[in-house]
Amino acid sequence: MAFADQFWQLTVTGLVIGSVYAVIALGYTLVYGVLQLINFAHSEVFMFGAFGGVFATRALLPSGNISATESIGLVLLGLGIGALCGGLAAFALERTAYRPLRRRGAPRLAYLISAIGASLFASNLAGKEFGRDSVNIPKDLFDYNTQVFSVFGARVSKQDLVVFVVALALLLLLDRLVSGTRLGQGIRSVAQDSDTASLMGVNVERIIVMTFVLGGLLAGAGGFLYAMKFNASFTMGFIPGVKAFTAAVLGGIGNVRGAVLGGIVLGLVENYGQFFLGAQNLDVVAFLVLVLILLVRPSGLLGERLGRAA
Amino acid sequence: MRLSVLETKRLAACLGLGLLLAVITGPSGSQDHPSSGIRGSLLDVRVVDFLLFGLVVWALAFGLRRARQTEAVSGPTAQLRQTVRTALDRRGARPTSYLAMLLVAILVPLALAPAAQLSLFLDIGIYALLALGLNVVVGYAGLLDLGYIAFYAIGAYVTAYFTSASALPIHAPFLLNPFFVFPVAVAVAALAGIILGGPTLRLRGDYLAIVTLGFGEIVQILARNSDGVTNGSRGAFGVPGLSMHLGPLEYVFPRTKALPYYYLLLTILVLVMIAFSQLERSRVGRALAAIREDEVAAEASGVPTLRYKLVAFAIGASTSGFAGVLFATKQFFNPETFSLQASILVLTIVIFGGMGSLFGVVLGAVVLQGLAYVLRDPIPFIGFQVADADRFIYFGAVIIIMMVFRPQGLVPSRRRSREIKLSEQGLGHADAITGASEVKP
Amino acid sequence: MHLRRSVSTVAVLVAGALSLAACGGGSSSSGSSSGKKEFTIGFQGPLSGDNAQLGINGQLGVKTAIDEANKKGNLPFTLKLKSSDDIGKPEQGATAAQRLVDDSSVIAMVGPMFSGATKAAEPTFSDASMLSVSPSATNPTLTSLGFKTFYRVIATDAIQGAGAADYLAKGLKAKTVYSLDDKSEYGTGLSGAIESQLKTDGVAVTHDGIPPTKDYTAQADKIIAAKPDALYYSGYYAEFGLLVKALKGKGFKGIIASGDGSNDDKFTAAAGAANAEGVYLTCPCGDANTDPKAAAFLKAYQDNNAGAKPGTYSPESYDATNAIISVLKADSTRASVAAAFKTVDYPGITKQVKFTSNGETEDKGVFIYQVKSGKRVVLGSTTDLVK
Repeated sequence: MAFADQFWQLTVTGLVIGSVYAVIALGYTLVYGVLQLINFAHSEVFMFGAFGGVFATRALLPSGNISATESIGLVLLGLGIGALCGGLAAFALERTAYRPLRRRGAPRLAYLISAIGASLFASNLAGKEFGRDSVNIPKDLFDYNTQVFSVFGARVSKQDLVVFVVALALLLLLDRLVSGTRLGQGIRSVAQDSDTASLMGVNVERIIVMTFVLGGLLAGAGGFLYAMKFNASFTMGFIPGVKAFTAAVLGGIGNVRGAVLGGIVLGLVENYGQFFLGAQNLDVVAFLVLVLILLVRPSGLLGERLGRAA
Repeated sequence: MRLSVLETKRLAACLGLGLLLAVITGPSGSQDHPSSGIRGSLLDVRVVDFLLFGLVVWALAFGLRRARQTEAVSGPTAQLRQTVRTALDRRGARPTSYLAMLLVAILVPLALAPAAQLSLFLDIGIYALLALGLNVVVGYAGLLDLGYIAFYAIGAYVTAYFTSASALPIHAPFLLNPFFVFPVAVAVAALAGIILGGPTLRLRGDYLAIVTLGFGEIVQILARNSDGVTNGSRGAFGVPGLSMHLGPLEYVFPRTKALPYYYLLLTILVLVMIAFSQLERSRVGRALAAIREDEVAAEASGVPTLRYKLVAFAIGASTSGFAGVLFATKQFFNPETFSLQASILVLTIVIFGGMGSLFGVVLGAVVLQGLAYVLRDPIPFIGFQVADADRFIYFGAVIIIMMVFRPQGLVPSRRRSREIKLSEQGLGHADAITGASEVKP
Repeated sequence: MHLRRSVSTVAVLVAGALSLAACGGGSSSSGSSSGKKEFTIGFQGPLSGDNAQLGINGQLGVKTAIDEANKKGNLPFTLKLKSSDDIGKPEQGATAAQRLVDDSSVIAMVGPMFSGATKAAEPTFSDASMLSVSPSATNPTLTSLGFKTFYRVIATDAIQGAGAADYLAKGLKAKTVYSLDDKSEYGTGLSGAIESQLKTDGVAVTHDGIPPTKDYTAQADKIIAAKPDALYYSGYYAEFGLLVKALKGKGFKGIIASGDGSNDDKFTAAAGAANAEGVYLTCPCGDANTDPKAAAFLKAYQDNNAGAKPGTYSPESYDATNAIISVLKADSTRASVAAAFKTVDYPGITKQVKFTSNGETEDKGVFIYQVKSGKRVVLGSTTDLVK
């Protein structure tokens, strides 16, 4: 089996997972944009979204066959509840682990550590409340494995398509939101210069909360997509969290379009890399590529600064 | 009495925290009944206790705030604080207090159970040494390193390679006494630090963080995958314990006893602390401080920043490698020992204890790792037993609470507390680590 | 100002302590009221961290056996459980073991569960002459490292691997096998044993490893591209479920099999019943579904653990505990228990608990299970199936 035969299949798989990375990476990049902080607990926001979405769809799952309308409804419900849970978790996180530190003018590393504390707290609390085994939706919400079409011989299943399209829609929505709305204007102004923004009448505190919530909504919806494709568990956030963080840095942290590009690139690189070197070396490939890119472009593929992104 | 909006909010927050505490200490749920834990915690009489607790906390805090308003600067606590400070600042007071602490560190372990002694060596002592090394990188030079545990791994594997014929599939052509491995491991770890640092230390702030994180991951993955070199996930079993053969003087450290190792480590810790405090005051230390405060200004005033950053990185790496040797001679290890979580734990200890302060980071190891150990037994006086699986909930909560109430850490260095105080007054930033975004193209 | 903060923190802590004391008062344990001697049986395993579920499975298995023995009340002593968490990691293994050794009431222990933690912990148990019976540490080398008091109620990876390989090669007539492990100590040990036996059986083997993850889609692409007759996964049920889901999603038609780490009903749930259909599972453990003793265990487990279902390694832990109880006497000491255990012969639910001189079980049967209509069904032992 030559790489050329597998190329398109690897590309499809990489694009699908890369689009999920991108959705999570946006949360890192948005918060980084306004606060210049790595939100280490973002992975747990993602986890709460996944649990919320899975439990909601599981509760409303019909006993018999799922009709087309039902399946659309369930997916939308899962996305909605997932986003809601993610948003709430991000809000609570900002209130408990970030705002009190901001009030005290804490150094940057203190935020990093309080976020690490929050991450330990949240993931183990989820383990306590939801059990420590992985949870999945007992039935496929639609026929995941039907082939919808093929690209140069590569199968694109219905699930691949749904995940990719939803992720793409979320990314476009966010891009519009950041570049075209009042809230987006606020976020960009705080990202550029929060002192000046505050002097111009922007409520910086409010913008910060909204940024967290926005990132949380996305991560929550992303969490449901991920859980629908795989499953949900209390430790699920860690790996995608590190990956998405890497993707955000890869694209240029603080840059919205950079995070999207970083996510997609990381997904693809990982997949091509593991074809040659085996899955056991997947992370080696990912990080080597990251180091190489950073050595050539020290501030990521698209450069940093949220303000300049749109 | 009418409460202001702010006080009402505070009351609500305290009651909310009471409810959260009720959930944390309450029954667990399961995946089939995800809300049963929360229901069992909140729809139960016990919730009254926790609401009362929230109320008491709020009332105490309210009372304190009231007292503080009337007390101004001359109140009793302010006086007390002033007395303590003058006592500490008196010439000779610091050495005396250090001696007292050393005495505690020597005597207290004798009274502990063997398991606690072991934990004192493995969890507290070794991590204190690791934290001291990372403190040079993070605290002095202001470089965020998330892959620090990799050098510890290098130290441990180098030890296995040079001291045992059976621990790894390959071994050195000549076997060494573990004591002679210390310089070798330190040199190899420092070299690894320089190899990693050379190309990457040009990166700033969080970019460096992610690259070092990647390095840590790569070292762990290679250790896991290189079956022919590191024995893969089966780990290195059979590294001999420390032993001394100095002419007539002969002593073999028993591997199942922790105290001899502990006292050796304590000696090393004291020496390292003395060395690092000299380092901080030296030319290198001042150069690192300048880099940390403002790299561009330091570069402009003729400090070769890259070279000094490399020095800091190499010192940190070699300390970590040294700790790896000590660890390997006491304890079986496999690649899972050197996880990203371990790197994060060392960083947490440094910040929790007080970045830049030698005494602080050691105390950080004592408090955080000690907490993880103490939580295994029922809490004294209360008798409440934390379920093992829930231990890290409490651990995480303590970290958040600490960062909220003391962002500068348990014992901040004097320089750092001044920086933070200035930032509280709105004069400049409290940052030792410059963010990537501050680098203007 | 900082001092005031500290004062308020202390006040908060004191208030918290008082409040907790108010509600925690009833939970303190009451001493043995019957006047009988009380022994403690220790347990060591991963009770926190990523693998906590496996540790909890084992812990509740031990607890079930102890509760049953206490309820029956026909023994000249009562029993208590003391758990020690090693997070499944070697660096915590020694401390966790020392905690059990320090408690003089602990007479013997079940565990450690993971091979890495076992290597770190056993020197301590050997030193204290404390019997340790692992329900799950399957690394073949463990019994040859000079540990004096180590036994395990589970057959090693070498035995399971040989049985599984023979079944794949001769029973299922696979010509090419893709052997995938989870890069853990358990997984690599098992995959190594299978691969060497497959090679002697003349089967072409592809070896690959992937550390636990959720995303097996790319791995599935790779396996399908290799077109093997059979895939054998050496790892645990949660990951195997996802792998099977990914493989079926990509249209894999070959034989799929895995080992004792996946021999759990939760595998079917994780993969989805339709995907899991026809999957083979190998286990060096007897049939836990049809045996009447096993049904009694299931009931006892649920009665004693608030309805929780037994999981991977629960039955082994239950057997290990009961075997220990069977050699306990009112005047037992740690050394006498360890000595008596050499000749233990106890009919457990997974096997006859009986050991060779180096601490391995004598019962070396490997059983093949298959998922049929969503249920795990035993097909028989490999010795019967491969003739």
